[in-house]
Amino acid sequence: MTSNIGEARIRVPDQIKRGDLITVNSIISHPMDTGFFRTAEGDPIPAYFIKHVVVTYGGQEVARFEWTSGISRDPVVSFTLTADKEAPLTMVWTDNKGAIFKQSVNISFASA
Amino acid sequence: MNSDRPGRVLEGPMSQSNDPTRRHFLRTAAGLVAAGLAAKAEFAAASSLPFGPEDPEVPNEKVARILKDLFADRPIRRGHVDLDMPVVAEDGRVVPVIIESDLPMTGDRFVKGVHLIVDHNPDPHVAAFHLTPALGQVSISTRIKMKRTTWVRAILETNTGEVWAGYTRVLVTLNGCG
Repeated sequence: MTSNIGEARIRVPDQIKRGDLITVNSIISHPMDTGFFRTAEGDPIPAYFIKHVVVTYGGQEVARFEWTSGISRDPVVSFTLTADKEAPLTMVWTDNKGAIFKQSVNISFASA
Repeated sequence: MNSDRPGRVLEGPMSQSNDPTRRHFLRTAAGLVAAGLAAKAEFAAASSLPFGPEDPEVPNEKVARILKDLFADRPIRRGHVDLDMPVVAEDGRVVPVIIESDLPMTGDRFVKGVHLIVDHNPDPHVAAFHLTPALGQVSISTRIKMKRTTWVRAILETNTGEVWAGYTRVLVTLNGCG
């Protein structure tokens, strides 16, 4: 498991042509604690999870995800995107303690 | 040689397009084609209704409230949603989910919301994905936790207010929720 909470990666294909339908893969390191478990010492582990994710492309919001602690530890999500402009693709994850984690990749087109 | 033969053949019974047997055959054939098309249309109409195993029953008050809050009294029809999950999830802490749909993602018509509901989880409404036409297609994958064997619902809502669902039952060996 990755250890730094909030460490995030976004992966897009290497070669993108204008208009391609690409798959965006993402992962963020986060414990996603439900609040139902206890430590070995018997202390409750409070709920601690990513609550929402906002995806923007060229500054425009293209998707927004609302999550609960029912999403597995170190959440992955992948989705498609029509690559119709050269612009940054940014994801912002916010957890239930208010911490904000951000990651970006540049969508750029391969020269033909 | 037999230069007059073709002419004779043309004048033979086969050339008589209004021969009663032939007319009858053509009418019957046309009738069969029409019947075939009608049957096909009927099948297409029927396939938009729930088919195969019945839709899973709403198992508890929590799920009932979630469905009511999201969709009020709109019909939740089965179709257009492919919910791909393992039949058996050995580790309920990490269960892969893929949700796909053939519904359009254009400026006029698109899927604006995808709701993932796990009937017997402590918090059944595991995730909501709000989408825009920029995504080009509905194809989302993630990994979820599951407490025990249960039905999972992927319910899509279009911008025009239609509601479409896909269901799958997942056998959970190891409780992933505590």
